[in-house]
Amino acid sequence: MKWATRRHCHVDRAACAWLIARFLDQDATFVFVDGADDVPADATAFDMRGADLSHRGADCSFETFLKTYDISDAALDDISRIVHEADIGDERFDAPEGPGLDVLIRGLSMTLDDDELLRVSNRLFDGLYEYRRRANELGRVPA
Amino acid sequence: MQYHSGVAETTRRWVLLAYRLPREPSTPRIALWRRLRRLGVAQLIDGLVALPLDRRTREQFEWLAEAIEEAGGYASVWDARPSTAAEERALVNRMVEAVVADYGTVTHAARAAKRSDARARRRTLARLRRTMHVVRARDFFPPPERTMAEAAVEELAQLVEVAE
Repeated sequence: MKWATRRHCHVDRAACAWLIARFLDQDATFVFVDGADDVPADATAFDMRGADLSHRGADCSFETFLKTYDISDAALDDISRIVHEADIGDERFDAPEGPGLDVLIRGLSMTLDDDELLRVSNRLFDGLYEYRRRANELGRVPA
Repeated sequence: MQYHSGVAETTRRWVLLAYRLPREPSTPRIALWRRLRRLGVAQLIDGLVALPLDRRTREQFEWLAEAIEEAGGYASVWDARPSTAAEERALVNRMVEAVVADYGTVTHAARAAKRSDARARRRTLARLRRTMHVVRARDFFPPPERTMAEAAVEELAQLVEVAE
């Protein structure tokens, strides 16, 4: 499937793209556009104004994805809290990783184009997912 | 000062959010007010707020516009440039005054905490570091008071370390 999102990926878009590629659509391809007018007819838009898979109420787009696709996974729930605090930072959740993740991805977005950024951020989210999965399994800080 | 085509060289680009939200229910109004406060916007008039333009601020306004429309209001996002440097200065001054007040509160609390006991000091330190994170995020034109607040918090941190 083809997915479209706004150019210049930041934390919420990068996290959604990772979720799509790893959990929803193994053949996902991504196009990066300037605005809603440029979304190809055969693409599903996300994390941009006018798209269904986007910020909704107090939720960031990653939270909207989990709710829309009814995904129930403790490690993904942890990541959604981290992404929420990285993206919105309203202290709705206790996720101290958020500000750090925000800085890391913001920095990558300054040195990489969107395709390269997603390649790097996918690996970052793979690691974060594995960390949260083991932490939940052990009930303590994993090593 | 040199002017070109009526625009002073010193003006920068801004992003504006124009909005109208029904008076009732009040929950979305309060939520919007909180989000505007966290972003550190300058209120131009009722229903018109501004931030210096960059990718992040434009996107934040677009999310707010969407939330306003979801709540039954109207909103639009504009790129803008003030027509005179004086107008811009007035805007910047108002934004700076707001964060100066926030930094002043932090400096005062950090200095006052030096006289409290070790546990209260540690609690205050954690709170002030969180506050600094929030204030820095809405500080677009860092005033000297920011450095003062950072120094006051750092002094408190050293005292906490010594006590441990």
